[in-house]
Amino acid sequence: MRTLFTPSRAALLIFFVAAALLPFFVDPRGHLLRVAAMVLLFAAMAQSWNIVGGLANQISLGHAGFFGLGAYTSTLLFLKLGISPWIGMFAGAVVAGGAAVLLSIPTFRLKGHYFALATLAFAEVLRVIANSWADFTGGPVGLSIPFMGSQPAYFAFRAVSSYYWVILGLLAAVCLAFHLLASGALGYRLRAVRENENAAEVAGVNTFRVKLIASVISAALTAICGTVFAQFTFFFDPDSIFSLAGLSVRMAMIAIVGGLGTLGGPILGALFLIPLEETANAFLSSKAAGLSQFVFGVILIAAILIQPRGLMAWWPKPRRRRAEASRPAVAAPAAKGA
Amino acid sequence: MLQALIDGILLGGVYGVIATGLSLVFGVLGVVNFAHAEFLMLGMYVAWFAWRWLGLDPLLGSVLSFVIVFAVGYVVQRTLIERVLKAPPAAQVFLTVGLLIAIENAALMVFGSEFRSVSVPYQVQGYRLGDIFIGAPYLYAFAAAVILAAALWLFLERSWTGRAIRAVAQDAMAATLVGVDTKRTYGLAFGLGVALTAFGGAVILPYITVSPTVGGQFVVLMFTVVVLGGLGSVAGALAGGIMVGVVQSMSTLIFPIQLQNLCLFVIFIAVLALRPQGLIKGA
Amino acid sequence: MTSAPLDRRRAAGVMLAAGAVAFSLFAEPVRAAEDVVVGVIQPLSGPNAQFGIGAQRGTELAAEMINAAGGIKSLGGAKIKLVAADVPTPNTAASTTQRLISQNGVSAVVGAFVSSTTLAASEVTERAQIPLVTFAFADQITGRGYDYIFQVSPKGTVFGEAQFDYATAIAKKAGEKIDKVAILYEDTAYGTAQAKGLRDAAKKAGVEVVLDEAYPLGITDVSPLVNKLRASGAQIAFPVSYLNDSLLIIRALRQQQIDIPVIGGAAGYIIPDFKKGLGDYAEGVLSVAAASGDLIPELAAKYKEKYGSFITHEAIIHAAALDAVAQAMEKAKSSDPQKVRDALATLDTCTGLAKGVPGGCIKFDKTGLNTSAFPVFVQWRGEEPVTVYPPQAAKADPIWRGQTVK
Repeated sequence: MRTLFTPSRAALLIFFVAAALLPFFVDPRGHLLRVAAMVLLFAAMAQSWNIVGGLANQISLGHAGFFGLGAYTSTLLFLKLGISPWIGMFAGAVVAGGAAVLLSIPTFRLKGHYFALATLAFAEVLRVIANSWADFTGGPVGLSIPFMGSQPAYFAFRAVSSYYWVILGLLAAVCLAFHLLASGALGYRLRAVRENENAAEVAGVNTFRVKLIASVISAALTAICGTVFAQFTFFFDPDSIFSLAGLSVRMAMIAIVGGLGTLGGPILGALFLIPLEETANAFLSSKAAGLSQFVFGVILIAAILIQPRGLMAWWPKPRRRRAEASRPAVAAPAAKGA
Repeated sequence: MLQALIDGILLGGVYGVIATGLSLVFGVLGVVNFAHAEFLMLGMYVAWFAWRWLGLDPLLGSVLSFVIVFAVGYVVQRTLIERVLKAPPAAQVFLTVGLLIAIENAALMVFGSEFRSVSVPYQVQGYRLGDIFIGAPYLYAFAAAVILAAALWLFLERSWTGRAIRAVAQDAMAATLVGVDTKRTYGLAFGLGVALTAFGGAVILPYITVSPTVGGQFVVLMFTVVVLGGLGSVAGALAGGIMVGVVQSMSTLIFPIQLQNLCLFVIFIAVLALRPQGLIKGA
Repeated sequence: MTSAPLDRRRAAGVMLAAGAVAFSLFAEPVRAAEDVVVGVIQPLSGPNAQFGIGAQRGTELAAEMINAAGGIKSLGGAKIKLVAADVPTPNTAASTTQRLISQNGVSAVVGAFVSSTTLAASEVTERAQIPLVTFAFADQITGRGYDYIFQVSPKGTVFGEAQFDYATAIAKKAGEKIDKVAILYEDTAYGTAQAKGLRDAAKKAGVEVVLDEAYPLGITDVSPLVNKLRASGAQIAFPVSYLNDSLLIIRALRQQQIDIPVIGGAAGYIIPDFKKGLGDYAEGVLSVAAASGDLIPELAAKYKEKYGSFITHEAIIHAAALDAVAQAMEKAKSSDPQKVRDALATLDTCTGLAKGVPGGCIKFDKTGLNTSAFPVFVQWRGEEPVTVYPPQAAKADPIWRGQTVK
C-alpha cells in the first residue's frame, strides 16, 4: 500500500495495456484474437471464482451453475421478450446472486470437500432442470443467439475485436472487484474466516454474512461472464453450459494452476492453460483421437507436481509477505468490524 | 413398489462396492480422488479382455481386474499422489483431475472409441417370484458385491495390513510410532481403493458397456454415495450405495424417469446440510 | 538465497515465452499452394468419439476417392486436403471452427455428427460466410433461415415420423393392426427431436401412445422403463437411444420374455457394436437409418477393406457431404467459399457419392435441406443390417414377427 508501483502492479498494468493494444497487431477477424478473447474470458471467470475459492477458501465445483444461469437468463429474456442482453446480463447477475443466497442456506456450514461436493450437485440439479423443462429452456437442443449482423445495442458485433474489448473490460472490472474485496475490510474478514472460522466467529465476525456477501458477488460476476460467453460463442446447451469438467472444474483449475487467492493467478493460469489446450488441439487432434487431451492432462499433472502452489509462487512479490503478515492479525480487523 | 425396492437394492449394492474404494482412499489418504471412476473403466476393460481372450466370465474376470488395477493404483500412488499429500487440498484435487483427463484419453488411444460389451447367457435370464421379477445379471453382480464387501470387512478387521490401514486412517503419526510403514500403507490403501472400484466395474460389465468415457457416468454418482454414507466410512459407503439405488428406482414410481437424478441430488444437498457427517454414523 | 528470486523470475519468463511461442504458432497459415482445403469437425474424443471417428473415416475415404479420380478437374485437378479438428463439446466448437476458417483458409467445413456441436459451429460459419455441410439432423439446424448451412439427410422429426410410419406400414402388410405404441427416448437433442416426430406421426395416424418416457443419458438400470413398458400394453416399442441403453433395453425385454417388436431409432441400433453386444439377439431387429452400406456397395467395400467393419450411416452421409462440396467446387470452378456456397445452393446431382443417400440425389432447398433424401429401415441379418423399407430402396423384404412381408 505504501508504494503505488510494486512490481506486480507494474506487471498487471503492462498486461492490460498490451492486451488492449493486441487487436491492432493481429488479424482482426482471425483465430488468434478469438483465442486471446477466450483467455481473457476464462481469466475473468477464474477471477470471479477466486473470490470464493481463493479469499474464503471455499472450493466451489458448481460455478458452472451461476455461469449457466447468466447465459440462460439473458438469452431467454432476449428471445422471449426482446430485452437487450446488456440488460439481461445484469438480470442474470441478480438471478445468480439470488441462487447463491439460496445455495448458501444449506451449505454455509460445510467445509472443504463437503462444500465442493454440494456445489457440484447444485450445478447438476440446474443441468437436469434445463434439460427437462424443455418448454421454457429449449431443452437439450440448447439455445442459439440469433445472427443479426452488427447491433451494438443488442450485444451483437461483426468484428471479434469488439467482443474482445468488452471481455477485456469485464476482466478489468472483475480484477478490480477482487482487488477491492481482497484489500478492503471484507477481505480481512474473509481471510480471518479462512484461517480459523471459529476464532473469527468468537472475535465477532459474522462469518455467515461475510461468506454470503463474497459468494453473491462471485456468483453475480460469474453470471455476467456467462452472458458474455453466450453472446460470444452464439450457442450453448444444458450439458455444455452447466458442465462440470468443461466449466466448473476449469474455472477452479485456472485459478489454482495460476495461484489460488492471488490477483494475478487467474490471469497467469488462463494465459498458460487456454493457449496450451488450443495448441494441443490444433496440432495433435488430427494425429490420433484423444492425443491432444491426453497431452493436456499430462501437462496439468506435471504443472501441479512441479509447483503445487501455482505459477504465482514463482512471481517475485511483496504481496506474499503481506498476505502472511495478515495471518496473526485476525483479531484486529474483526474488532473493527464488530 | 416392492419391485422397485428390490431393483434399487440390487443396483445399489454394486454402487456401494464401487464407492467403497473412493471412501477408503479419502478416509486413509484424505484425498478426494476425481480420477477414481477412471479405475472403474480400467477394471471393466481388464474384465472385457479377460472375457474376450481367455473366455472368462466377467464375474470371475473381476478378480483379475482387482489384481491388475491394484498394481496400477499402487504405482500411481507412489509416483504421483504421494508427492502432493502435503500440498494444499486444491492441488491434490486438480492433480486427480489431470489424472482423470490423462487416463480417459490414454484409454481412447489404446482401446479405441468402440463401446465394448460382453455376451454371456445369463444376460437375458431372470427369475420370477409371483409379481416380482429379478434380472439375473443384476442379481449376480449384487451377490459378487456382497461377497467382496464381506472379504473387505474381514481384511480390515483381521489382517495386520488391514489394521495398519485403519490405524493410519485414524492417526498417521501414531501409526508410524508403533512401526507402521505409512508410505507403503498409503500405497496399499490407494491400490485397494481403486481395486475395489475396478472389481465393481467388472461385475457390472454384463449390463453396462465399456468405453473410454464410461467413468464420466459414475463420477457424480460415486460422490453422492460416498457423501450419503459419510466421507471416509467404508460401511457407510455400502449403505449409501443401496440408498442411492433405492432412491433412483423408487423415484421413478412418482416422477418421470428423466428426473431420477434430480431427486437424488436434492436429497444429496439436503443430507449435506442436515447431517454433513453422512446418514450412517461410525464404522 | 539471493539467487532464488532471480530463478523464479527466469522461470516465470520461460513460462511467458512458452505462451508467446504457442500464440505465434497460430499466426502461421499452413495453406498449400494448389490444394483445396476442407475443414472436418467431429467429436474425436469424449462420449461421442465413436460416431465422430466413423464420420471422419467416411470423409477421409471420400477425399481419397475424389483425389484418386483426378481431384477437382475444373481447378486443374486440384486435390482435396482435409484438416480435421476435434470438437468434443459445443463449448469448443466456435473457437475450433474459427481456427479452421482463419488459420487453414478452408473453402468449406464438413461435419459434426452431434447436433448441438453443429448448431454451435454453424453460428460461426454463418457469420464468416463459409458453407457448412452436415449430417446432424436437429430441426433447428435448417430452421433458422441461415444461408451457409446444408444438411444432407432429412430432419430429426422426419426420422421419427418414418420410424413410426414405416413400422406400422410393415405391420399392416403382415396383417397386424397397431393401436398402442410406446416411445422411449434419451433426453438429448437427438432423442427429443426424433421422439417429437414419433409422437406427431402417431397422432396423425390416430394411434394411442400409451407410454412416452424420456430418460437420462447414461441410465444404468432400465428396469423401471421396461416395467412401465410391460404394464402399458404397447404393441410396438420405439426406443431412441445410443448403444448402452439400446443393449440394456433389448436384454431386459428378453429377460422378461416380452416379445413385442422393437424398432430402433438409428444411433446405437445400427453400429457393429450392437451385434457384438447382443449376438444372436440382434437378428431381426429393425431400425430407422439415414443410409445403409448396401445402397452404395463400392464405398462400403472400400470402407470394410480399410477399417475392417461394415460402413455406418454417419460415414456414408459424411462421405456424400464431402462429395457435394467437391461437386460444388467443380461446378463453381473455384474454391472461394462464397462461390462454393452458391454452387451448393443450386447443386442438383445424382452422381458420385450422392448415391449413398437414400433417394440417390443431393439437391438443397432454400433452407439448405436435401429435399430428395428420405430415411430407410434396416433390419439385422447376420453380421450386417440390410435395407428392407421403403420398397424403392429395399434390398430385401422385411421380416415381421418371423414372417417375411412381401
